[in-house]
Amino acid sequence: MSLFKRLIYYSLLIASPILWKTAEAQDYEFEIPAEEEAAKLEFNGNLDTKLGILQSNTTSPVYGLKFFGQDNPDYLSQNRLDFYLNGDYRYKQVGFTMRTFSQYTKEGPLELSFYELYGSLNLSPRLTFSVGKRRYNWGTGYAFNPVGYVNTEKDPENPDLALAGKSSVYLKYNRSFSSGFIQNLSLSTIVLPEVADILDKYSKFGDLSATVKLYVLTNNIDLDFMFFYGPDKTRRYGIDFSTNLLENIELHGEASYSNREELSVIQNGAVQINEVSGFSHLLGLRYLTAWNMTVIAEYYHNNNGLSRQEYQDYQAYLVNNLITGDADLINETRSVMTDSFRSKNLMRDYLYVKASLPEPFKWLYSSVSVFIIYNLNDNSFILSPQIGYEPFTNSEILLWPSFLFGKDDSEYGSKHFRKKFEIWFRFYF
Amino acid sequence: MHIIKLSFFVILFSHSSFVLGQNSLPVSARGDEILKKVDEVLSPGSVEFYRKLINVEPDGDKKEFVFYSVKKDRDKVAMLYLLPASDKGRATLRLGDNMWLYIPRVGKPIRITSMQSIVGGVFNNSDIMRLDYSVEYDVVKLDESGDSYVLDLKAKTRTVSYDSLKMWVIKKNNIVQKVECYAPSGKLIKTLEFTQVKDFGGGIVRPAVIETTSPLYRGYKSVMIYSDIKRKSLLDEVFTLDYLSRLGELR
Repeated sequence: MSLFKRLIYYSLLIASPILWKTAEAQDYEFEIPAEEEAAKLEFNGNLDTKLGILQSNTTSPVYGLKFFGQDNPDYLSQNRLDFYLNGDYRYKQVGFTMRTFSQYTKEGPLELSFYELYGSLNLSPRLTFSVGKRRYNWGTGYAFNPVGYVNTEKDPENPDLALAGKSSVYLKYNRSFSSGFIQNLSLSTIVLPEVADILDKYSKFGDLSATVKLYVLTNNIDLDFMFFYGPDKTRRYGIDFSTNLLENIELHGEASYSNREELSVIQNGAVQINEVSGFSHLLGLRYLTAWNMTVIAEYYHNNNGLSRQEYQDYQAYLVNNLITGDADLINETRSVMTDSFRSKNLMRDYLYVKASLPEPFKWLYSSVSVFIIYNLNDNSFILSPQIGYEPFTNSEILLWPSFLFGKDDSEYGSKHFRKKFEIWFRFYF
Repeated sequence: MHIIKLSFFVILFSHSSFVLGQNSLPVSARGDEILKKVDEVLSPGSVEFYRKLINVEPDGDKKEFVFYSVKKDRDKVAMLYLLPASDKGRATLRLGDNMWLYIPRVGKPIRITSMQSIVGGVFNNSDIMRLDYSVEYDVVKLDESGDSYVLDLKAKTRTVSYDSLKMWVIKKNNIVQKVECYAPSGKLIKTLEFTQVKDFGGGIVRPAVIETTSPLYRGYKSVMIYSDIKRKSLLDEVFTLDYLSRLGELR
């Protein structure tokens, strides 16, 4: 060690208590932070008690496969509890969201499903980032959404039902403009990893889907432009719009072009997957009449749906497999039903009309409505009136019958029930 | 030529005497000026506030809602439902003529019309998500009645909920007392009475209670109570569809 270095070393050694004390003194000096915003944790949810009676459609192959080997009466009842528990935690820019669903039908282990479970960084009103399982609902249609590339398929019989989300990474940028042609603009990007189907834990590396959506509010019109990129070179391009034509009429529409979309059909008594490309579209309106009735009407063309002949082939396939009485084949056919033909809108062209009237006869807190979903390809349909009443705050009663009409080999005529009557008691907390 | 000039001045003078009111301003201009002052008193700039809505039925039963609201400029309003639990998390946004409703369970905002009522009772969407009066209406007539101005307002466009309004305003402070809302047929749809003037601080002095009755709903009444009105700086992006699910972050 040189003389110079030794001098520095001993100087530091001698000075160390002083430095230590100084450091100690500095440790006791701190700035009093401004009063911090407290973390917020909130829970809410609802319990739906549902009592239902179904008139079975015993001649339907769907019924035969579903209840194979059982000798059931014509009328079946169903009682169940649907429990939704939601939680939101927020501290400054960090958020955590949880939406759960569990169903109870009989004593046994209760299964809890996470409909949504994600963390988010809300960096500003302009920028949001989240990771986890999150629900998206793209499109301006009420009952159908051909541009809903990241949506969980909704049930047109109950479009307002809470649904499960998808694991995803989400980034959104949002910007308003006080003057000019565009009033608001936002850009969303969503990346979705493939479902873990390898040992229920893993998926193939690189099997990612990605979507981009550009939203613009211009001249009182909501406009969305979407692009979807999926594995196996599936591409989808979409546009939707919504605008108020008058103070009581809203018009909306969606159009989507897809290429290399998979469509399952029955050919020569076996399932075959075809690739289809083309346009799906929807046009709808929401109209408020002078006596306060809201009418929603939508026409939907599903390019990825079955033709009348293809649906009949599917029904013939179910019948042929059912009459064999072969348990293995019947199990396999059930899997085909749930895996390849599970869509809520299996066919190509639908008309949806719903009319709802709040407070009929000036009965406050009650509502009546009726909807019809008409399959234009086979002229089958479901007709369903509803009566709702909120007797007390945070409670609701819903009477909900449904009637299905159509030939035996039509979509609604081949369901496993012909009529259904449900009573819902809903309690919020 | 003299006769022509004389006729011209007679016409000019007679026309001027028709349109000029006090302070040498045309009636419509003076009325619009009063209306803007009414708006400034009711919604002073960029603010946040809480409201309780009480729907009272003829038998005395009540249904209550509590909202957190923010307003900016003359035509941006957003509102979050805090109570009851069945509606908690719902949010509505109004940007000029555009109005949307966000329902957490559905997960996306949908366009709604101003004439609908999303809470039942006598108030409709445009009453609860009201823009400045001067954004939607022109003053077509100005009268005086004792200590009050009486303004006749006409909707600027067909997308406005009510075709015309009749408004009573206290002269000395430009505080609105009563508004009658009429259909195009001239039929009275509802009456809003503004009461209990309160000093909310920050120079905000306005009626704290609005009571609404309607001949269409005899025996029913809706009451809106304002609380905690505070000035707040807000980005324009707060008033967008994307922010509706995050409105609670502002509280």
